[in-house]
Amino acid sequence: MSEDKQRLFDDLAAAVLELDEDRTKELSQEALDRGYDAWETVEHGLLLGINRAGKLFDEEEYFVPELLIAADAMYAGLAILRPHIKEQFTGIARKVVIGVVEGDTHDIGKNLVRIMLEVAGFEVHDLGRDVPPRKFVDRAVEVKADIIALSTLMTTTMERMGEVIGILEEENIRSRFKVIVGGSPLSQAFADRIGADGYAPKAAQAVLLAKRLSGLVNVA
Amino acid sequence: MSAAVQEIRDELTSLERVGLALQYKKPDRVPAAPLVCGASSRVLGYSYARWSQDPKIATASLLAAQELIGFDGFLTLVDLSVEAEDFGQEVIFPERSTALPNFDNPFIKTADEYNKVKAVDPRKSRRMSAVIEIVRGLVEAKGKEVPTMGFVYGPLGVLSQIRGHAELFKDIIRHPGRVLEAVHTINGVLVEYALAQVQAGAHAIVLDPLYSSASILKKETWVKFEAEIFKSVADAVRDAGVPVIVHNCGGGVYFDAVLEYIKPIAISHAYPAYGSANFEEHAANWAKKVVTIGVADPAKTGHEYTQAQVLEDSRQQIEIFKIAEGGFILSSGCEYPPNGNLLSARTMVQAAKLYGRY
Repeated sequence: MSEDKQRLFDDLAAAVLELDEDRTKELSQEALDRGYDAWETVEHGLLLGINRAGKLFDEEEYFVPELLIAADAMYAGLAILRPHIKEQFTGIARKVVIGVVEGDTHDIGKNLVRIMLEVAGFEVHDLGRDVPPRKFVDRAVEVKADIIALSTLMTTTMERMGEVIGILEEENIRSRFKVIVGGSPLSQAFADRIGADGYAPKAAQAVLLAKRLSGLVNVA
Repeated sequence: MSAAVQEIRDELTSLERVGLALQYKKPDRVPAAPLVCGASSRVLGYSYARWSQDPKIATASLLAAQELIGFDGFLTLVDLSVEAEDFGQEVIFPERSTALPNFDNPFIKTADEYNKVKAVDPRKSRRMSAVIEIVRGLVEAKGKEVPTMGFVYGPLGVLSQIRGHAELFKDIIRHPGRVLEAVHTINGVLVEYALAQVQAGAHAIVLDPLYSSASILKKETWVKFEAEIFKSVADAVRDAGVPVIVHNCGGGVYFDAVLEYIKPIAISHAYPAYGSANFEEHAANWAKKVVTIGVADPAKTGHEYTQAQVLEDSRQQIEIFKIAEGGFILSSGCEYPPNGNLLSARTMVQAAKLYGRY
């Protein structure tokens, strides 16, 4: 890699890490203008930056606001680069349909998981918050998802997760999807009770769980 | 002596018991106050939506729940959208779940709209005045026996309910001045709201600075955007002669900063403080510095545990917090699940009677 290219990628990673959305967009465009490969720019610039932000989040140097803005910067750069990514470089991305279940609007945890899944290479379809059970199923069928990821922060909406699994079972399509659940009031016992395939107490563990369930890593 | 005999020998009223515990004086037994709020709607069979909006129904339900469960204190937490609605946020009231803001229609839609937040009179606005009436009703009915704790959500939390959580957190970095201005406006109203609950007879006021938590904000960020401002509510309550309690069910609460700025006599919480690996370590670090209210896992207590497990879980907590020398109130670390098993809340009270004798 040439020095100029390396410097631009380093600057791009730094722009994401330093929460500078405008600079991230400028540098993403500059990479295209210089004829650099779009996927290489994503991998060595944007993803490197958001990975470093995620590491600082794990180390409690960054907190939710910083990670959300770093993600905004990454998405802004990705919007410029994505149309130029050659299909063969994107690999076979596993697909996740994610959302906060109906009756709940707390989406910070879901957003963190989405960001980390995307960084890990998953194709994420984010349905947002207050999502009816039927909508999870319909979208998962539509995009041929591998995983349905359900989030809630409230005890009064936990049971909605079981309803999603109930619909999958009624329609005889349960085996086509792995269902994972997360959120403050949940536990492994709850996940077992509703028949989910996995539970993760933290965002980073959700990514490991998704990788394991989709066969991307072997975890005993 | 059998457990059954011990169980019926309460010597003090709940008011006396909680009052002593809050002063680190050992009462007859550990007080037990699972935070039964919305769950009370089910005792008299009202919908959650009606319970949330009609103070007479909420008051009657809370009184019935106390009679049924025997808990040692009322908390007038209706839900976290109360203040937000009165500032202009549209709120959705599900029939069988907690009210929530309609974030498809946030009151503050862009960062340019923070100046839409205007002061309101909590004694006249719809939701806050209803909570004030609940306080008054509970105190009139049971004020000499059972303490009533008023509840005020912190100004940054209120703002997150009218802007959207993620957007607010990003605005804290991108538009700090606008956020701070709105926090100040809201806080001024919260001072009056807290004082109105004091005037209605509340025995203590619970302040909820939810974002004083390492799971959300850096400590310095919380101090700048809420603590330095919200402290005036705590000061006003204390000046009115009523104790301040803090509730925060977030992970890794900054106990040091909360104590420095809000100066509560007790903290109600669900997880060990920031820097403590577990509740044993937490108790060693903090139980003698501030009275502990907690720390049962609400979802496990209300949804998973058998009654035997609730008893054992409660016993373990009482054991861990013996180090507090009386400064411990057995409770759920967050609101008791509105759809949880009410028998388990009653079992927590029984556990305090069985295992919490001083």
